[in-house]
Parts: sequence; C-alpha cells; structure tokens
Amino acid sequence: MMTDIQIKAVSKRFAIDRSEILALDDVSLTFPAGSFSALIGPSGCGKSTLLRMIADVIAPSTGSILIGDHPPGKARRSHEIGFVFQSASLLPWRSVIDNVRLPGELSNKQGSRSPEALVDLVGLNGFEEAKPAQLSGGMQQRVAIARALALDPKVLLMDEPFGALDEITRQRMNVELLRIWKETNTTAVLVTHTISEAVFMADTVHVLSAHPGRLAASIAIDLPRPRHLALLQSHAFNALENQVRAALFAKEIASGR
Amino acid sequence: MAADAMVGHIGSLVVRRLPPLLLLVAIGLVWEAAKLGGLLPITVPAPGAVWTALIDHGGDLVYHSIATLGAALTGYVAAIAVAAALAGLAVTWPISERPVFTLAILIDSLPLIAVAPILMLWLGNGTTLHVIVAAGAALFPLLVGMIQGFKSTDSTTRELFHVLSASRWQTLTRLMLPNALPAIFSALKVAAPLALLGTLIAEWMGTDRGLGTLIIYALFSFNVPLVWLSILTVCALTAVSYALLAFAEHRLVDWAHPRGTTGGRST
Ligand SMILES: Nc1ncnc2c1ncn2[C@@H]1O[C@H](COP(=O)(O)OP(=O)(O)OP(=O)(O)O)[C@@H](O)[C@H]1O
Ligand SMILES: [Mg+2]
Repeated sequence: MMTDIQIKAVSKRFAIDRSEILALDDVSLTFPAGSFSALIGPSGCGKSTLLRMIADVIAPSTGSILIGDHPPGKARRSHEIGFVFQSASLLPWRSVIDNVRLPGELSNKQGSRSPEALVDLVGLNGFEEAKPAQLSGGMQQRVAIARALALDPKVLLMDEPFGALDEITRQRMNVELLRIWKETNTTAVLVTHTISEAVFMADTVHVLSAHPGRLAASIAIDLPRPRHLALLQSHAFNALENQVRAALFAKEIASGR
Repeated sequence: MAADAMVGHIGSLVVRRLPPLLLLVAIGLVWEAAKLGGLLPITVPAPGAVWTALIDHGGDLVYHSIATLGAALTGYVAAIAVAAALAGLAVTWPISERPVFTLAILIDSLPLIAVAPILMLWLGNGTTLHVIVAAGAALFPLLVGMIQGFKSTDSTTRELFHVLSASRWQTLTRLMLPNALPAIFSALKVAAPLALLGTLIAEWMGTDRGLGTLIIYALFSFNVPLVWLSILTVCALTAVSYALLAFAEHRLVDWAHPRGTTGGRST
C-alpha cells in the first residue's frame, strides 16, 4: 500500500508587512507512490514552503494537494507523514530512544517497528540512552529520521536533512537513507542544495527556479538501483548532473554570464 | 580503586573549599582584633559578640524564623501558582499576554514599603498580610521568567509537534514546560529572596512574631549583636533557599548543561 503525492496548480503568497510575495507560482507535479524524488533550487525558491504545505504546516493560497486520496490535514492526523527538518530538532531533555518514542507517546499508536528496532535501523544501537548533546550532527539526524519513521508514515518529507554535515558523512548518510527508504517502502521527497546528492538519490529531480518559485524542469534519473558510491564517477551520472545544472542555471547560461 | 577515587574526590573537595574557609576565618580574626583595638564604631559588633548573641537568643531566633519562613514560603508558593496560571493563559491565549503583563508591571511598580501599610489597613497585621506581600514581591520575576521560558520554544520543534498532531495540552506539557525549566529555575532563584524580603517588610509594620519584628526589637533596644545576628540569619535563609533550588535544578535540568560544562563527570 504505497501512496502518491499530487500537487495541483499550487501557489503560495506570503504577506510581509503591507506587501505580498509570491513564494510559489502555479506548481503542479506528482511524486509517484514509492518513488524517491529530489527538489533542488536556489535559496528562497520555495522548497521548504512546498514541503510544509504537503505536511499541512501551512495551507496553499490556491491549488490543492492530495496525499493518496486525502488532503494533507487528514493525512497528517492519521500519521501518514514523516518529516525530517534541516536541524534535527530533537528534544534535548530526552534520550535517543525517548526521542524516537515521542510520536508513539503523543498519538497512543505504535508503528510496525519498535523504537528499539528503529534505532537499530538507523545504525545507532548502543546509543539508546545518550542525550542529543552527546551525539554528533550526523547521529542527531539519524535519530530524527528514526523518529520520522516511528508511526510507519506513507510519505517521508526531508528538508535538507544533511545540509549541515560534511561531504564524507553526507555521502554515507545518503547511502543509508536509500537503504532505509527501500526497507520502509515510503514515498520520499528530499529537498537539497547539492546537485550530486539529488542525482544520486532520486528517481526524478525537480528543479525549481526562484522569484517566483516555479517548476523549471523535471529530470528522470534512470540509473539502476541499488546505487553505490562508485556511481558518482560514471559518465551516465555526470551527464545527468550536467542536465540538472543546465536546468538550474538556464537563465545565466542563456545570458552568457 | 573506588576507595582511591573516593579519597581523591574528598581531597579535591577540601582543596576547593579550604581557601574560602581560611579567608573567612582570617577576616573574622582581623575583625575581632580590630574591635578589641577600638578601631570599629559601636554599631559594629565583634564576631564573638554575635556568637554570644546566637547562644543567648538561639531559641528566639528559631521562633521568629519559623514565622517568617512560613509566611515567605506560603507567599512564594502562591506566587508560583498565580504566575503559572497567568503565564499559561498568556501563552495559550496570546491576546491575553499584554493585559497579563500590564497587570504584573503594575503590581511590580507599586513600592511595597508604601503599599504594605494600606494593605494592613484592609487585612490587619496578621499572617495574611505577610503572605500577600511576599507573593506580590515574588510575582513579577516568576511571571516574566515563565512566559519567556514558554515562548522560547523554537519554531521547528513546534512544527514538529504540529506534524505529529500533538494536542495543545501535550505541546504544553511535553514541549513548552520542559523547555522552559531553565528559565523557570532562574526566576525561582531570583524570586525566593524577594519573597523573604516582602515578608520582612510586612513584619516591620508591627507584629508580634517574625524576623522583621526581631530586627526592629533589637534595633530599639540597641542590641547591636542581635541586629547583626538577625540580618545574618536572613542571609543564611536566602543562601539555603538558593542552594536548594540550585540542587533541584541540577537534578531536573541536567540536559541544559551539555557535555562537560558542569565539571565533575568526564567521559
Ligand atoms: N512564514 C513566512 N512568512 C513570510 N514569508 C515567508 C515565510 N516562509 C517563507 N517565506 C518566503 O517564501 C520564500 C520561499 O521560502 P522557502 O523557505 O520555502 O525557501 P527555500 O527554497 O526553502 O530556501 P532555502 O533553500 O534557503 O531553505 C522566501 O522568499 C521566503 O522569504
Ligand atoms: Mg528551506
């Protein structure tokens, strides 16, 4: 039972003082059930805004979003959405295992995996009783991922989860994330600033342009899975990277800058 | 091994506590000598005289301290309850934040020493007055600390609770309250001496029992060592309240001092 996400003609305006800004302009796209999609675009193009609308944190100004057959509010209330923020945002007074237990406590529900199994899934066994302050940034994000998976979400939304990590750790985390995604059968959406990360992870890379945020291109990544780090050096990979880069910098390339 | 560590621990404790203790003893000796040499005015007693006063008036001191402590503590707890209710109101119902603050500022801007006599006219000079003045003195820092503590929750974590469909009550108790604990403890530490001070001021209006009464009595009978002794007792009570709160804070909010900053345990 996998769930797709449909974004239909969604626009989002924010009122700032007396003026208004159009953060997203008429974006339509579909994240197929069980797929892994990446969203890439310059800062301020509305990536976080789009993710927050899918998670029912904010509402679209116009247009609609469907998660499977449900609007985001219903999907959120039935715990179909797992969200990983850019900062791990763990509760510092709770241990690792208690942070992973939080969704279960709040909802009085249990996922198919126990909190212990989730900690194991993200490779943190032995650290169950550690406090967040005792973990590295990468370990904290793993806890955040385990927490997002606690109630078997159908969709996993990740807003630059590894943005603050160094290159080496990020590559390792990405490989693990793909494994976790396969094991949990979720529809994953990853927001990223890194072209190679987007291509390495996704089935489709959606490129957004800024001011206003629009969908500039959707590039299918037909690289075989499972993906290994050796892939980063292949020609096919580099060609796809260039394709994404061309879409990202279309304006600059056209104007010869 | 463990015994070695134990000895080491006690050793380091002595090494840490010894210099201030020695300093205190030295100051006492110099003071006593200065008094004997006639270098100090009559309003400053020798430490020995204060000590004698403690032996003579120890029972009185306990008798009056209990009354003061009881009123201060009751007022303090009442202030905590009122501050918690008002802060909860201000945080869960943002429109009420300004009126709540205005009220608190109003109460805080009233000079206690001027208000106490008016209150005395209404309430008589009994325990009720002492408790109310103590509560009034402690309320403002408690309220500010609680509201700021509650509001310091970062927006991402609140979004997390929203995505997890947490109820308002769950958000308050599982997120905002624990998050506010460091700020609340700071406020508790500031407010405790204020409650004590409020009680003393109220007692000065004239009552038959309390440290404030004892100070006035000692003053008018020109018993200088007893004045000093009463004041030292107030200082000691303040110090003890601070130490108790610091201990509770250390126990409850250990997460607010991440790795190593609390000293001691190293990993
Ligand atoms: N709550 C808000 N109120 C007003 N404006 C907002 C709000 N949230 C976002 N915006 C505006 O919407 C636009 C898109 O913001 P968003 O955070 O979605 O960008 P982003 O693509 O995630 O950028 P980044 O890569 O830097 O995280 C920005 O111009 C931002 O100023
Ligand atoms: Mg963003």
